[in-house]
Amino acid sequence: MTIAELVDSSVTVEFAHLDEQSKRVIRRAILTAVAVPGYQVPFASQEMPVARGWGSGGLQVTLAAIGPNDVIKVIDQGDDDGINAANLRRLIVATTDVEETTDAREATIIQSRHRIPEEPLTSAQLLVLQVPVPEVLRGVERDMNEMRRMHAESDYSKMWVSLYEDLVRNGVVTASTGYPVLVNGRYVMATTPIPRWDIPQLDNAEFLTLFGAGREKRIYAIPPHTKVEPLTFDDVAFEVEITPGATCLLCATSDTYLIEVPSHHGWICSDTDFCTRKRQDNV
Amino acid sequence: MGYAAARGGLEAILAAEDLVRRKRTEGSSAPLEVDQITDRLRLSVDRVMGEAGLWAPELAARALRQAEGDLVEAAHLLRAYRSTRRRLARPVTVDADELEILRRIVPAYRVPEGPQLLGRTLDYVGRLLDTSDRVSTGVEEATHAGTEPQVLVFGGETDRRPERLLEQLRRNDLALDRRRSDDPEPYDINVHPVRPGVPRSARLSVMARAETGALVNLWYRNVLGPDGYIREITLGEVRHGWLPVRVEHPATGQPVNLGRIRVTETEAIEDLDGDDEARDHFDVGYGMCVGHNERKAIAMANLDIAVHRDGGRSSLEQSVLMTTDGLESSGFLEHLKLPHYVTFRSMVERKMSLRAVASGERNDDRAAAIEDEEIRTEAVVGA
Repeated sequence: MTIAELVDSSVTVEFAHLDEQSKRVIRRAILTAVAVPGYQVPFASQEMPVARGWGSGGLQVTLAAIGPNDVIKVIDQGDDDGINAANLRRLIVATTDVEETTDAREATIIQSRHRIPEEPLTSAQLLVLQVPVPEVLRGVERDMNEMRRMHAESDYSKMWVSLYEDLVRNGVVTASTGYPVLVNGRYVMATTPIPRWDIPQLDNAEFLTLFGAGREKRIYAIPPHTKVEPLTFDDVAFEVEITPGATCLLCATSDTYLIEVPSHHGWICSDTDFCTRKRQDNV
Repeated sequence: MGYAAARGGLEAILAAEDLVRRKRTEGSSAPLEVDQITDRLRLSVDRVMGEAGLWAPELAARALRQAEGDLVEAAHLLRAYRSTRRRLARPVTVDADELEILRRIVPAYRVPEGPQLLGRTLDYVGRLLDTSDRVSTGVEEATHAGTEPQVLVFGGETDRRPERLLEQLRRNDLALDRRRSDDPEPYDINVHPVRPGVPRSARLSVMARAETGALVNLWYRNVLGPDGYIREITLGEVRHGWLPVRVEHPATGQPVNLGRIRVTETEAIEDLDGDDEARDHFDVGYGMCVGHNERKAIAMANLDIAVHRDGGRSSLEQSVLMTTDGLESSGFLEHLKLPHYVTFRSMVERKMSLRAVASGERNDDRAAAIEDEEIRTEAVVGA
């Protein structure tokens, strides 16, 4: 390398923002994660232009995986037009010049905060979920060394006890989003917090899901066709979010994850893309 | 709907950015030049470089200006910039004994080997708010009462690389010698994540980059707080000075100096008193950070020895490693401002469900609705 090239390299903007060395670090972690479904792979999380806790982990996974021919969709709470989604999409597109879309069917990479699109994804698509708290055991254990032991030995008794206590005390499992799942019969894993509604989509899915936790420096994965079971007892059914009689004010669907609109005493789809296309008869 | 005013994502962001930019660039005073910041806000620049883990005074000054003086934000800008830069070379490890001091004090002795060099510090300056606009240049003459100075300096006032107190303690067999012979490569926290159980070099790297206030708080919390107690150390060395940066020459393979950086270095002498400890010896904690930031380096040295002595009995190591980074704590705190309606709706649904169960009226509508969902969930129910 010549001095001129060195000087020049200091001003060149790399494809997908990160330098190639950093991307390789992330890709190695992704490969490990895919090989061991549900296992949290530690990785050297880089500082991104977005703050920790604002999708820096998902962003790193996306930028390490993306190629010039990809089509990107970014959603926050199911909404393509949410501020954080718009901001992340702007950053990804600005540093890669890839095509952007809101249509879940057209995207090859979907980065999401807390939702899986209603439209079933295919084997040609990659779902990247932003993760605030990757450690599923944190609610029952604070010591990191102990948590590592519990995962290593598949010792999830504390999880079961806490689930049992919840049920006994409340008559219903009150865990809401980020519901714990058993992946491939081996690792208990936190589901980002996506709502319980989305969890069935992860089971034996056609698509690869990558989970990126930037602040906590972990990447984990659910490869296609992997068994994903929500933790529950044999005689207690796992429940998704149901509100009797609720339908979307805009598209009249009742079979999506609905969010409440108190000002209109009603509900709308959290997935704005699905809702829009439903109204256009395009689903 | 959700963030009504904030929807239309991109437009709202652009408008917000414009507001920030205008506030920063408008105003009746002259625009702030980078050299004004490096010249006159030296400690802010140093703190930003330290927390960013990057020696770059001019870039730190730019970051400070762009962040409107917000130190954590400026450190974020600098670190985010750094993560886009390729590594051009790996530095050759430099011995801290090469530090060329600008300031050095040894609180443990009145007359240590080498100079007590007060240097540039505000420690003894009265905290009187200066309300005049005059730029003072003169030096006040020392005309007050006092005794003649005791001329007992060993290395001479001009000795800029004095031997450290630790050497003296070692010679007198007062300090435990924990030096290792295998000399492993330092743990690089930019390439490998840290978790409890990492080597000491990782712990020191984390603290060197930590947010100053977080380290000070963690230290003080353990002095006065509920977590247990760490002992107040005696400072052996507090140094501020220049350290060379060296790399291997790509052609000759010989080490060459590329430049130098300013660092703060401290050594904290710990009085060992545990049953299983060498009670007739001292042990020493170490702190070093980029720039002039003594609060940080002292807290770091005390926490370093405290974690070592704790030996995993408490969660102190986890606290040091996992909770002191300014970008991580601030970023996560501020993420609470993001919309959370998907998760909140799910929580509300559980509240309603809980009530239905409690009142015994898990009503038919609900049961029917759940039944409708059976197709959706059959793959997982009871699987």
